Amino acid sequence: MALRQTADELIPELRRYQRQLLLAGAAGAVVSFVGYVLNPAQFFQSYLMAYMFVLGLSLGSLALGMVHQLSGGAWGVVIRRPIGAAARVLPALTVMFLPIAFGMHHLYEWTHADVVANDPILQGKQLYLNTPFFLVRAAIYFAAWNGISFLLNRWSLEQDRTGDRRLSRRMQLLSGGGLLAYGLLTTFAAFDWMMSLAPHWFSTIYGVLIIGGQALSAMAFLIVVLVWLSRRKPLSDIVVASHFHDLANLMLAFVMLWAYFSFSQYLIIWSGNLPEEITWYMHRLQPGWRLVALLLVVFHFAVPFVLLLSRAVKREPDTIMKVAAAILVARLIDLFWLIAPEFHQDGVYVSWMDVALPLTLVSLWLGCFMWQLRGRAILPVYDPQFEEALGPIIDQGGETPRTAH
Amino acid sequence: MDNPMPLEERQLTGAGSGVPVIAPGHTFGSVTDKISAIVLTRRTPIGWYLGFMTAAALTGLLLVSLSYLVVEGIGIWGNNIPVAWAFDITNFVWWIGIGHAGTLISAILLLLRQTWRTSINRFAEAMTLCAVACAGIFPLFHTGRPWLAYWLLPYPNTMGIWPQFRSPLVWDVFAVSTYATVSLLFWFVGLVPDLATLRDRSQSRTGRIIYGALALGWRGSAMHWHRYETAYLLLAGIATPLVVSVHTVVSFDFAVAIVPGWHTTIFPPYFVAGAIYSGFAMVLTLSIPIRAIYGLQDFITLRHLENMAKVMLVTGLIVAYGYTVEAFIAWYGGNAYEGFMIWNRITGPYAPAYWALLLCNVIIPQILWFKSVRTNVIVLFVLSLVVNVGMWLERFIIIVTSLHRDFLPSSWGMYQPTFWDWSTYLGTIGLFLMLLFLFVRFLPLISIFEMRTLLPEAKGEQ
Repeated sequence: MALRQTADELIPELRRYQRQLLLAGAAGAVVSFVGYVLNPAQFFQSYLMAYMFVLGLSLGSLALGMVHQLSGGAWGVVIRRPIGAAARVLPALTVMFLPIAFGMHHLYEWTHADVVANDPILQGKQLYLNTPFFLVRAAIYFAAWNGISFLLNRWSLEQDRTGDRRLSRRMQLLSGGGLLAYGLLTTFAAFDWMMSLAPHWFSTIYGVLIIGGQALSAMAFLIVVLVWLSRRKPLSDIVVASHFHDLANLMLAFVMLWAYFSFSQYLIIWSGNLPEEITWYMHRLQPGWRLVALLLVVFHFAVPFVLLLSRAVKREPDTIMKVAAAILVARLIDLFWLIAPEFHQDGVYVSWMDVALPLTLVSLWLGCFMWQLRGRAILPVYDPQFEEALGPIIDQGGETPRTAH
Repeated sequence: MDNPMPLEERQLTGAGSGVPVIAPGHTFGSVTDKISAIVLTRRTPIGWYLGFMTAAALTGLLLVSLSYLVVEGIGIWGNNIPVAWAFDITNFVWWIGIGHAGTLISAILLLLRQTWRTSINRFAEAMTLCAVACAGIFPLFHTGRPWLAYWLLPYPNTMGIWPQFRSPLVWDVFAVSTYATVSLLFWFVGLVPDLATLRDRSQSRTGRIIYGALALGWRGSAMHWHRYETAYLLLAGIATPLVVSVHTVVSFDFAVAIVPGWHTTIFPPYFVAGAIYSGFAMVLTLSIPIRAIYGLQDFITLRHLENMAKVMLVTGLIVAYGYTVEAFIAWYGGNAYEGFMIWNRITGPYAPAYWALLLCNVIIPQILWFKSVRTNVIVLFVLSLVVNVGMWLERFIIIVTSLHRDFLPSSWGMYQPTFWDWSTYLGTIGLFLMLLFLFVRFLPLISIFEMRTLLPEAKGEQ
């Protein structure tokens, strides 16, 4: 059975794509460096946006993987390997955080001693918002995320080799605690890296909003990958419409969650209309930025929501891939809207680096992803759910089973 | 493998977790007999009469309390400025929250194809209805003039007065009344095929007439089933957003105000999680004794109890996340009033209630990480009571501690519940239990026809 072979053997072009993507990323890095020399402040702003986007792909995948360990279900079996590969980009992302650490002074107002000296509120926050503690916290976040990902991936590989079912139990245990750690640490990472861009502003739902965004990014990306893989052997014989249907339903749920969190935050702050909170929205809803906000309402929520209600859209790989890709673009625009208005308060401003840096980081991230995808079998054949989820399809030689409704 | 289950049915059923959702050895006939006998043939246990009478006595207390309230005014409660909302709104939110588990079990778990829900959904939906009935009493009587409650609704009137549509209190009227209506429809539509079973099996003429009228002429034809399935699925789709929307609107009641301790953006998801948390606790509180008394261990198995315990663990952790973030941001935000609010909760006059809340909602439920706890019926029962208390304390803390220390120290005050606060609250617990006792006695508390679909016999026919 071809399922035990690695993706590298089954899909040889992965190697070529990986090289091309990494080369493109390297070229992008050179161009971005020019941007850094010309306008370091803008470089770091664009970098932070691009970085949060690719970080979301990896962390969101890690979280979805842990959810699947606990909940089970066929939806997770078919995307388990892409999930693992995306999570294994985390060490590279750890290195890619360094520019943010070096660019702190350009990004975070609270690092300016003279500003803090004249601002009693920021003085009150110094216990938390100070450079050493910020870096220590980042180290803790990365240690935990990498540790969880490393262990889960190692046990999964071991299971691929030995078929030891007891490893599943161990992975479930780690996933329970891991999700708890992921939720808390990602919340504080969102506070540190994004919310503190506006150091006076605060919102208790902010971490949840970022976590929901990561889950949505990751799910959209995994759908794109699965469609791509399902056009090639062996997954072309295994992945059927109902898999896409399930994944698309989850994506729909995440689209709705994002809208729910975003709207709740807006409504509560708008109703309260307190100066310390509403200023954040006033920057983001002034003419110019308001247009970006409306784009988000339409393309981050309304359009995907309506499309994903349709059964036909969810079951057709070509259309669902387009919807998922569009959602990924919308995710990037959301991060742009969260970050850029803080620095361009007199109207909408798009720098060429807001395009170049996402392209660069996405190329590098995708190159690493392909590299990680190549090394392992394309499906987790020893997963306890495997037989149940995919056995009948494989037995029937790729016939689509009758669906329940 | 002959006749494999369709792919979609296999997912998320949690297959492989050992204990089955229905004990082996049952047939179509034995399932129908066992469940319908509780209503039709078995002698009503003495315990039922004792329980019913206790609950009815408490309901009497409720009637006395409410009558006195109408005569005397809401001054008989301890509410007073600055604490204008106290037991009444605490109890309202508590009861509404409890109802959410029923809707989640019946609608969301149906759409997620979680077949284990089948033996608890009917019962949980009935619980939702009773809880919503109890919840509605509090805001209604808190108006002080319940006969004018229709003023809450927007209707063209000679005074040209409309409700303030920007106020979540008005949204609440719509949210809760929609919730009650949809829950009732959903529950009743689900009952129709079983009512026909009771009609056909009933030995008494009165039974045949009453169950017959309620069964709406159900004959079980293929056409009936087809229409029924469509209607039920549609109602599930309509009920699903209600799981989130109702408690979201309830959270807006607090969050859109600028009171420290109320005005915080995490409230909507954290209220929804809390509602499901308390709701599942209540389902456990009720189902554990009922399965023991009526010998339903074959249908409500350890698997159900364990799954509910898992839902409680997850939602409990989300609630704990809410407390953590709220406390952190109260400090981080640098707003003196927010900071004081948290400090006052921790050390102020209501601190014992705050610490009890953390103990009940966060610390003790961590034992649910252990499988041995999740499958220990006694421990689960005690824990479900603890969480019920904890979630009540949470609402009390949010409402009372936030109000009793206003922005100006000159407007500070204390709230003490009076006898009538307690009697009204206990009275609604009585009403809730009395309605449930009646339900258990006169209607099938487990869906008979859905249980039959879980049997191996049903699989063979597919």
